[in-house]
Formats: sequence, C-alpha cells, structure tokens
Amino acid sequence: MTETLRLTVDKRDGYAVLYTEGYINNQGGEEIARVAYDLIGEGYRGLLLNLAGTKIVNSIGISILIEVIEKMLEVNGKLGFCNLTPTIEKTFHIMGLAQYAGIYKDEAEASTGIKA
Amino acid sequence: MTATGIWNELLGLAGRDGGERPYLERLLDAWCARYGVGGAGLYVDTERGAERIAAVGGAPFPALLAEASEHDLIEVRVPGGLVAYRRGGASAGMQTADPLPVLLACALRNHRLRRQIDQQRFQANYRGVELEALYEVGLAIASTLDPQELAEVILSRAVSLLDARRGALYLLEGGRYRLKHTVGGDAPPEFAADHPGIERLRREEDEGLCDLLPGAAHLLCVPISIEDSPRGMLAVGDKERRGGFGPFAANDRRTLGLFANQAAIALENVRLHIEALAKERLEREMQLAGEIQSRILPKGVPATPGFDLMGWNRPAQQVGGDYYDFLPMENGNLGVTVGDVSGKGIPAALLVSTLHSAVRLMLDRVEVGPILLQRLNQHIHASSAPNKFITLLLAQLDLETGDLRYVNAGHNPGLLIRADGSSTTLEPGGLPLGLLAGGAYRCESLHMGPGDLLCLYSDGITEAASPSEEEFGLDRLCALLTQYRGAHLQELVQLIDVEVREFSAGQPQGDDQTLVLLRRAIAGPLRSGD
Repeated sequence: MTETLRLTVDKRDGYAVLYTEGYINNQGGEEIARVAYDLIGEGYRGLLLNLAGTKIVNSIGISILIEVIEKMLEVNGKLGFCNLTPTIEKTFHIMGLAQYAGIYKDEAEASTGIKA
Repeated sequence: MTATGIWNELLGLAGRDGGERPYLERLLDAWCARYGVGGAGLYVDTERGAERIAAVGGAPFPALLAEASEHDLIEVRVPGGLVAYRRGGASAGMQTADPLPVLLACALRNHRLRRQIDQQRFQANYRGVELEALYEVGLAIASTLDPQELAEVILSRAVSLLDARRGALYLLEGGRYRLKHTVGGDAPPEFAADHPGIERLRREEDEGLCDLLPGAAHLLCVPISIEDSPRGMLAVGDKERRGGFGPFAANDRRTLGLFANQAAIALENVRLHIEALAKERLEREMQLAGEIQSRILPKGVPATPGFDLMGWNRPAQQVGGDYYDFLPMENGNLGVTVGDVSGKGIPAALLVSTLHSAVRLMLDRVEVGPILLQRLNQHIHASSAPNKFITLLLAQLDLETGDLRYVNAGHNPGLLIRADGSSTTLEPGGLPLGLLAGGAYRCESLHMGPGDLLCLYSDGITEAASPSEEEFGLDRLCALLTQYRGAHLQELVQLIDVEVREFSAGQPQGDDQTLVLLRRAIAGPLRSGD
C-alpha cells in the first residue's frame, strides 16, 4: 500500500518546527502546506522544516514548498530547512528555494536564523 | 481620495517591482468602493478552477472557487478570471465604460504571464536537477560497490525525477527477482524469473507486472539487463500531478531506461569486482598451498645401498593433496609412503602437513603395521573436518634383506614388477585415514628380489583422462613398468610422464600426479637364498 508522509509539529517560542518523515511528493507537500498555513494562521512567523527523515523530494513537492515560502514572505515571515541530505540540498539550490528560505545544517544553527 | 489620486496610486504600484499583490489589493479596494461592496476576491482561471490571487475585506474567500454560488458569493466575470463578492452588497453592476474591469483584466493577464514565466523557470531549473541526478548516479556507481546502496540511489533518483508516487527495484538472484529497495509503499519481496509479465514487458505492456506495486493504478517497468541477459527490474507507479496522479508520459520510459542502464553498469561493476577479488583470493590460497606442499615433499632421496630410489610429483593447477616421503629409520630400514588427501587448496595442504608430521614422529617408535596405522587414523580423524580423509600406502623396507612390510589404507594398489616381468599388487588393507575413528588395518609383507621394481603412485596417474574421457588405468601403467623395468628410474619416470600426457592429448591435468619408484639393484646386498 502507498505510504504517506508523517509530519509532527513542535511549537516553540516564536517559531515552530515541522519534522517530516517520508517522501515529499504531492500528498506530502500538501500536508506540509496545510500544517504550515494553519501555523501561519495561528500567528507563527517562523517555520523550520527539519527534513532529517526525508530522502526524496519530487517536483510537485518542490512546487508546493515554493508556495509555502511565498506565503511566508507575504506575511513577512521566515521559513528555513535543516538536516537536508546532500542531494536535497543541491536540489533546493538549483530550484532557487535557497534564495528565499534559509538552509541550515541543523536545528541549533536554524533556531538563530529563524528567530532573527 | 479623488479618482485621479487612485489612478496615480495604481500606476505607481503597477510599476513597482514585486508589487503585484499590493496593486491587486488596491485595485480590489477601488472596485469595492466604486460598487459599494464590503469585500471581494480576485480569481484567475486555471485548469483546476478559479484560483484566488487577492482578496480584500474582512470576510474570507475560498482559495479555489469551483462554483461561486456554493459559497454564497456573487461572481462578476472579467477576461481571464472573475471578481467574487458576498451577497448583500450594494453593487450597482459594472459599467462597460468603467476602466476598473479593464484594469482587472490586465492585472489577471499579467498574473497569468508571470505564472507562466515562473513555471518555465521552474521547469528549466528542474532540467538542471535531472542532469544533476544522472551525474550523481554516475558518481555513485564509481564510488560504491555495495549493491544495496546502489539500488537505493538509483531507485530514489528515478522515483523523484519521474514524479512517481511509488517505486521498486528488483535484482535477479538465484533464479528469482528479489526486492532490493522500495519507495512510497510495500512491494512483494520476490517473484519468479519466469513471471508471465516479463515476456509482456518486451512489448512494453507494463500491466503484466502490476502486482509488483500493489495498489498502483499506472505502472512503468523496464528491465535491468546486460547484453540481453536479465539482471533485474526497475518499476515505478502513478505519475503525480498537482492534486492527483495519472499515467506516465511516453518519454518517461526512456528516462527510466536510462536509470536501468546505469543500474546495469553499476551492478556489473560490482559483480566483476567480487569475481576479481575471489580469483585473487583463490590464487593467493593456491600459491600458499603450493608452498606448503613443496616444503613437505622430499628435496632428494636418502642413501639406500642396494636400491635405486626416485620420487616425482607434479601438482595440478589447483593444488591438491598428493604426498610422498622417504623416511630413514633408526633401525636402518627405510620408510616409504605415498598418500592423497581429499580436497584442494589450503585445507588439503594443511592436512598433508598434519599427516607428514605424524608419520615422521611415529615411525621411529612404532613399526609399520596395524597399530601405527590405527594411531595415524585416530590422529587424522581428530584433526580433520568430517568430510576429509587421506588414502595412504605406508611401507617399511629392510634394506639388508629386501623384506617389505606395508599397510595400504585405501590407496591405489602399489605395483611390484618382478625381475622376470611378473607383477603383483599391493592391495588395500583398510579404509582411508580419517573416515572412521575405529578403523582396522591389515599389514602385508613381501620380498623384493634383485631387479624387482616397486611403484607407488597416486590416482592422478591412473585416472588421467583422454579427450574421450577414458582413463589411463592401472594396466597401461603396469605394462610400461614391465616393459621398461630395467631402465634408469629417472628415464622411467619421464617415460611414464610422456605416455600419460600423450594419452591425455592436451586435456588439462585434473589432479596431482605422484610416482615413487624403488628398485632393488641386481648387484645389491642379497640375503641368503637370493
């Protein structure tokens, strides 16, 4: 049977961390967007996606992540990614996500950037 | 604000880089004010329906509008989209002479163009990701020899690049396709190499293998093969689109085929590497076994007054376990032995070494006979693996009298060629050493008269095969020995060697070949009565 992305959220002081586990495709991307928009609605202006549990992202997933980034920019918020595999990090750079979202090595490095 | 003021403000916003949203919202504000509406949403027509691109006023407007009436909204069409507002507003209806609808239409067109540019930029960037993926798969091939790791890299890249929801990679092992990696869901752990769907795959009919990805509505499979020899299978399922999935495009098969080709090259590299390592290990082992064996075999012959003695051994390409030795004893007798250890390589060489030490240690303490052979048997039985054994013919010659005592533990019967041309065989008197812990042995004796020739040999001589798989045999050996029983022993060995090789007619030597020749000199010491 088809597996779906598992997503957990850790709300912190001033920002929220979304932990992904699985494939960021259409279903996974939509789930991330849904949760991210809810958090934005709750007033969060800093979101960090910890992709330690994700090894694959496809083009649909990337396009949805770009929309989430645009949404964050509209509300003057900040979006960051951390714990990316080298392949995903390279993909994000090529696709231009790194221009509008922070790419961090880990949560410790990201927390400073997201809150600033 | 005056109408002129609004137009100037809109012109300013339209000209600002990245100012689309403020411009659209101000435009909607102006529209709401013009028609007396509290709030409105601006929607652009897309394949999925009308998508909201801006909204003003407190009440929320849905992101996607299939039917405005479902949300209690009134829609006003403009070229390329619509404006939606809530019922109860005091709309006076748009006037054709009003510039606002024209501006809204222009804004929508601009928005669509910008979206198209974004999509084209996205696709151009994604071409870069595709190239990078193929490059990385190539790098992975060069950097790892782990089939599992290769399977993960190749499948992950194929699934993500083809926007597949599912994927599985199988490799052909032991006559079955075995699952090496899966993405996006479960897949059967294995399937038969003669699965009927594989034949259909040659005609690009993927549905024959739909059970590879249970639940997938659309399947794309390509074989992983090297020179038409199947090595595996790469399968992906359900090509994703925004909001759903569908069948794969025609060129997706070609892309997946590229990954399958990369996989085939990588896996072939792994196989060749493993083979090369195994060959290198075997060669090292054979070299070591050869060194062990060459150290054990006698470098020359001891002084045997009244007897000529000759030992000869030629190992096969794969070193076996032939063994012979000459053992001068404290009582002046000569021990002579020929043996053959089951198996090849290091294990056989080590067992030969064990036997060699045991015979040397025991022979001075115990004369050749049943007790000596029983002790040797117990020692070899305790020292060797259950399936290992040694055939051994051990003889003790009284150099003064020519009396010979021997025990044949399952070895090829030795040949005694009498000076008058008659012959007798030294038949086995017990099982090979190491087979049974409690083996019993029978000792035999005979007398070697002047000119009598004793030949001990290994089965590498008598079982040397011709191209028609006929064995050289004991009779041919016996005939040669009889005919040339008076020849110099070295010449006799060469003669037998030539005959055996000619008989084999270029067939590779399958086993070690050993010959031990012992002939009593005609003028040698004689016992009374000779």
